[in-house]
Amino acid sequence: MTEGNAQHPDRDGSPPDQEPATGSGDGSRPWIRADGQAKATGQARYTADLTFPGLAHARLLLAGRAHARITRLDPTRARTLPGVLAILTQADVPDLRYGSFDYVLDRTLFARDVVRFEGEVVAAVAALTPEQAAAAVAAIEVEYEDLPPILDVEGALRPESPLVHPDIDGYAHDPNLDPSGNVAGRSTIVKGDAAAALAGAAVVVRERYVADMAHPVPIEPHSVTADWSGDRVTIYSSTQVPFTARGKTAEVLQIPEHRIRVVVTHLGGGFGGKCDFHFEGHVAALARAARRPVRLVLSRHEEFIAPDKVTHAMVVDLETGVAEDGTILARRSRILLDCGAYASDTPVLGQIAAMMIAGPYRIPDVDIEAISVYTNRTPAGSVRAPTGPQACWAVEQHHDVLATRVGLDPVEFRRRNLVHDGDEGPTRQRHEGDGAIDTLNAAADRIRADGPLGPGEAIGVASGWWFSAPGASGAFVRIESDGSGRIVTGAQENGTGAVMALPILAAEELGMRPEDFAITYQDTDTGPYDGGSSGSQTTFNNGRAVVEAAREVRRQLLELASVQLEASVADLELRDGHAGVVGSPDRRVSIADLASTAHDGALLLARGSGLPPENPEHDASACVGRLGFESFASPTFFCHAVRVHVDPATGIVRTRKVVAATDVGRVLNAPGATGQMTGGVVMALGNATMEGTVFGADGRQRNASLLDYKLLTTADAPEIEVVFVEHPASNGGPRGSKGVGEPPIVPTAAAVANAIASVTGTRVRRLPMTPERVWRAVTTGDDGATEANAPFGPSEAALAAAGIGRR
Amino acid sequence: MPELLQLTVDGLPLSAMVDPGRTLLRVLRDDFGRTGTKEGCDDSECGACMVLVDGLPVNSCSYLALQAAGRAITTVEGLARDETLHPLQRAFLEGGGIQCGFCTPGMLISAAALLARDPDPSEEAIRDGLAGNLCRCTGYQPIVQAVQRAAAEMRAAT
Repeated sequence: MTEGNAQHPDRDGSPPDQEPATGSGDGSRPWIRADGQAKATGQARYTADLTFPGLAHARLLLAGRAHARITRLDPTRARTLPGVLAILTQADVPDLRYGSFDYVLDRTLFARDVVRFEGEVVAAVAALTPEQAAAAVAAIEVEYEDLPPILDVEGALRPESPLVHPDIDGYAHDPNLDPSGNVAGRSTIVKGDAAAALAGAAVVVRERYVADMAHPVPIEPHSVTADWSGDRVTIYSSTQVPFTARGKTAEVLQIPEHRIRVVVTHLGGGFGGKCDFHFEGHVAALARAARRPVRLVLSRHEEFIAPDKVTHAMVVDLETGVAEDGTILARRSRILLDCGAYASDTPVLGQIAAMMIAGPYRIPDVDIEAISVYTNRTPAGSVRAPTGPQACWAVEQHHDVLATRVGLDPVEFRRRNLVHDGDEGPTRQRHEGDGAIDTLNAAADRIRADGPLGPGEAIGVASGWWFSAPGASGAFVRIESDGSGRIVTGAQENGTGAVMALPILAAEELGMRPEDFAITYQDTDTGPYDGGSSGSQTTFNNGRAVVEAAREVRRQLLELASVQLEASVADLELRDGHAGVVGSPDRRVSIADLASTAHDGALLLARGSGLPPENPEHDASACVGRLGFESFASPTFFCHAVRVHVDPATGIVRTRKVVAATDVGRVLNAPGATGQMTGGVVMALGNATMEGTVFGADGRQRNASLLDYKLLTTADAPEIEVVFVEHPASNGGPRGSKGVGEPPIVPTAAAVANAIASVTGTRVRRLPMTPERVWRAVTTGDDGATEANAPFGPSEAALAAAGIGRR
Repeated sequence: MPELLQLTVDGLPLSAMVDPGRTLLRVLRDDFGRTGTKEGCDDSECGACMVLVDGLPVNSCSYLALQAAGRAITTVEGLARDETLHPLQRAFLEGGGIQCGFCTPGMLISAAALLARDPDPSEEAIRDGLAGNLCRCTGYQPIVQAVQRAAAEMRAAT
């Protein structure tokens, strides 16, 4: 961003690329994130803070109904209102169908003929003021013929169901998928003969678990500003994936990628909600039509309904057979994922869900099917560890049920079945290390050491795994003339600190301090490609790129030093900011002096972009819908143990303590990794007991505000003890590290669920496990899995069953 | 009809003609360029917009600008003195209390208000005092610890 910085409006603030990092990765010195001071002082500018001369304001016309045919759409009168600069509909942009991922090309930028969910964009307005834009949106003449909303994934699979996409047979799609009817995709994970093995098992348990949709809720709502200069557009966006945003903007507006620059100044959290392509195309088109910079900022209500990124509502049927000693013999499962109105990345997430239902367990015979089902609800997608928390919540409760059936303690049941080093996975990948067992033992020991349980308290545990995500990623490293360093990367910082920690890696290679490096990042014109802050991949992939570039700079420095010190490169080392002869403390030259020399000749400048690690060897020959997750690369293993209090009279669940034990391969930045754990656990606890989207029968969200959709506050959050286990991955990220950002959200709800069952003797098979649902399960035995997606609150039937009349 | 608003923001006397329907948040951000204060929900639920009005914390998204006439406003941008960070800012920075940073301005303001009325708060008092500020990144634990540390430092300094 420095070289291309002339247009950067953040210059007089505190540009994200100017702050040095400090501290160390092992926690021995405080690690101070490079963007921290700007954020602590209010100088850090987020997308909605940027302003430009002549800035105009955008507002979207959203459908406001779940399923309808547009019978009339006429912005003529609205265009005449004061201050209106442009109004766009699908008639004003290239009329092409795209997929926000390329699994199914099922959508258009603006609605064409039919709206398929409440938040679908019908039109967009740019006006001189936000008030004028709102008035113009209200004045757009639009009429609908309502169609029956399809809201039930099982109903959507019946042959007589109406279709969300009647033209689906004509849609282009991934060759590994066969979308038809209301099915966007189907994937299986199959090994051996599960049916035969189940027939021979001593104990077979069949269960159903149902999860509601939930929201990522970053505190910063989406914001996009587009600013054209000739045939080039700069898009400032609150995106986690700048290169994806650029690529899709190019595709839908039919502009070459090199004419589009996507810049993220600072990003106010994402949690997956800002992955994918959202509003960059709409705003770029508006700014071109308005011939001014245009800014869109979503309201919190819009943030709930419009950015089609929520967690998947899921229906999970499970059937597992075990031997009398508790050894798991076989598993059969069907997972229905509600992908909402558009497929997005749900098909591949279905495959991931199937892998999660298998889990890090030794199961000889596996037959798991995941079906991505279209409905007229908000499209779901890659929210933090997509499908992981729901799948783990289902299968880890299932494991406790199995343990009870064979008379084993839940920890002992897991100990007998979790994978060890060398065991094979659901598609015969070979596991490395004993991370699954070690995290179980650590979590169980620590929670038991927390003192005796009080009345109404119980312990719950849950284990699991999550993949690392190998992918292409690039970085440049260079040394400036004064010996200071700079990392130029395509990676995106979403708050986790993953990009902020890159200097730790470069500094280690070059014998420098992290604070010697500045970072230029999240600007598609400047940094090489990166997949964005998604899939816990930043350190895993971009970390490798930075290390590779730094090693090349190291080679350059040592060559220069070998001339100046008249020594062989083999005898030289980089330490404390100097190149020196090993064992001869006086024969050394500073990196600053070498850099000064280099600036009279060949510069100290290198790139890193190695081939990503390959997935482990496996056998997926029996699986269909193969989209790349037939095996899990360098999986992170974890176990959470919780201590929970349940009040059976109210159904209120209080989690008092969480131990989060995780095998992250290698801890590269202890404070950063710990922050991911504590944050992930609290988000997971919200998902466990509070956060679920309620839909009305009309298919509209009924709790689309923070007044009704509650997050945990400081006062609700428990004590969290973080334990790291280190089994470096042979084919992992830097120094054997594995993904860190997503794993902590996966097992917490499952552990809480198991504790609830321990206290109450009753299972809650509906997520979130709200007080009403817990109360109903305790009072009536209704586990919620057959409950229609209606209310937070007891149904008439539940009240009647409990002998409570409703006046 | 717009009315004249005169007030002090982070020590600086400022004035603007303000429509009676506009919020303090909008005027701070749009008229005075104090974008350090964030809008997260416009509903008094997330606390990202919190500022001090004559020393008391308010959600500026739900506070009319003209109500602030003649008052002294402190935003996150007014916490640091010259080049020196406020002890809370330093503690957040060093203790992992900042990730994405979007809740940080409001969180710091709430913490400053808490320590002004209770220089030695218990952990429970800190958790209650910050319960109006949502954070989705940190799990709160590092923030609570940072407030404890800053409180100790501020007590030692007086």
